[in-house]
Amino acid sequence: MKCFWAILLFVFCFRAFADEVIPPAPAQYFNDYANVVSSTTASQLNQTLDDFERQSSEQILVAVFPKMQSDSSIEDYTVRVARAWKVGQKDKNNGVVLFVFVQDHKMFLQVGYGLEGVLPDALCKRIIDEQIAPRFKAGDYDGGLTAGVQAIIAATKGEYKGTGATVADSRTSHGSSSPFFGFGFIVLIVIIIIFSRGSGIFLPWLLLSSSGSNRGWGGGGFSSGGFSSGGGFSGGGGSFGGGGAGGSW
Amino acid sequence: MKKIVVVIAVLVVLAILVLIVIAVAGGSYNRLVKLSQAVDSQWAQVQNVYQRRADLIPNLVSTVSGAANFEKSTLTEVTQARASVGQMKIDPNTAPTDPAKLAAFDQAQGQLSSALSRLMVVVERYPNLTATENFRDLQAQLEGTENRISVERRDFNLVVQNYDTAIKSFPAVFYASAFGFQYKPYFAATPGAETAPKVQFNFGTPATNTP
Repeated sequence: MKCFWAILLFVFCFRAFADEVIPPAPAQYFNDYANVVSSTTASQLNQTLDDFERQSSEQILVAVFPKMQSDSSIEDYTVRVARAWKVGQKDKNNGVVLFVFVQDHKMFLQVGYGLEGVLPDALCKRIIDEQIAPRFKAGDYDGGLTAGVQAIIAATKGEYKGTGATVADSRTSHGSSSPFFGFGFIVLIVIIIIFSRGSGIFLPWLLLSSSGSNRGWGGGGFSSGGFSSGGGFSGGGGSFGGGGAGGSW
Repeated sequence: MKKIVVVIAVLVVLAILVLIVIAVAGGSYNRLVKLSQAVDSQWAQVQNVYQRRADLIPNLVSTVSGAANFEKSTLTEVTQARASVGQMKIDPNTAPTDPAKLAAFDQAQGQLSSALSRLMVVVERYPNLTATENFRDLQAQLEGTENRISVERRDFNLVVQNYDTAIKSFPAVFYASAFGFQYKPYFAATPGAETAPKVQFNFGTPATNTP
């Protein structure tokens, strides 16, 4: 019996190491899960990136994690995370995610298909090596991330035109207006039925889970504290193809 | 009189059944066409990223060979591997249905991958070269291209698996081959293939075997 439990424990330990975690899509543009950035800088950068989506429709995200939760390589892991978050607009694929893993001293800039032209790999590498890494090395996460975000914005500005609203804006306005709630739900069910005929059974779940969690149907709607303007970040459906560059410090 | 009613009822039921069968088969046929096209367009995407890598090589070779007394053997290896990739006769718009053809393509690309990664290791012994901006840009481009290759290959395998599952499932399994839907091979993850061609640039310690 003891032996059995030992084996079970071993199996569980093994699984714990082998399993990787794809974090859920963040609710903000600037996300510091490692608590290395001051709150003023964080809210400033978040505001900058929120504004930038309004004027350009491009979604630029920063995600600072304490540690990479995967055995895979950083370029492979981060492309899958960026895809899961659906950063960027669906028809433009104009998303960018800067991943930072503090304890690993590694970062990676993932660039969506639609921005590979203005943000080629060599430029990403330069932004990382010249703007971000030296400041990180000196312990200045605020400065490194600010400079990095500014460089990314400078490179991608003007490539696309924005609508003045973010994806999160349109989602919250649809979701929170209660008279349309029932109607929206029926439409959603019809959509699910239509879609599920063509593409297997898990698409409806995808639809349900993504819209359910983003629109905040459960309760008082979607208003995260701290950031006054808009509803924060919500993925537009963009995809990634492995463009970008990584670096360490 | 009663007999006629029964016959008509049976005929109506039969007609409905036939219609259902046609609808189901037609829906599944259309689905196969869609899946097959998805495979082909993803194959084009795979060709695209491999072509991107091939296009980078002349620039890389000329940059590297400009460095003083650079070891020529690794460079020749790269140019030869690139030449043999260029000679591959493979349709860039339709995914191959012959596993041997895909394997040959994969092997030629794999040889180029490993020649490139050997070159990048050797290059580390020439700090004057690696310090130049031109070379660092090339390095980043090559690294990004290798990433794109692995992403597109994985996507290709996914759509091929969808397609292969579909042609083997009911009801397609009965007519798929009659309509020319053939099994399509996907990239094999040969042992070491995933790691060997990986271009590692961030060496923790400088190369110790300096000549």
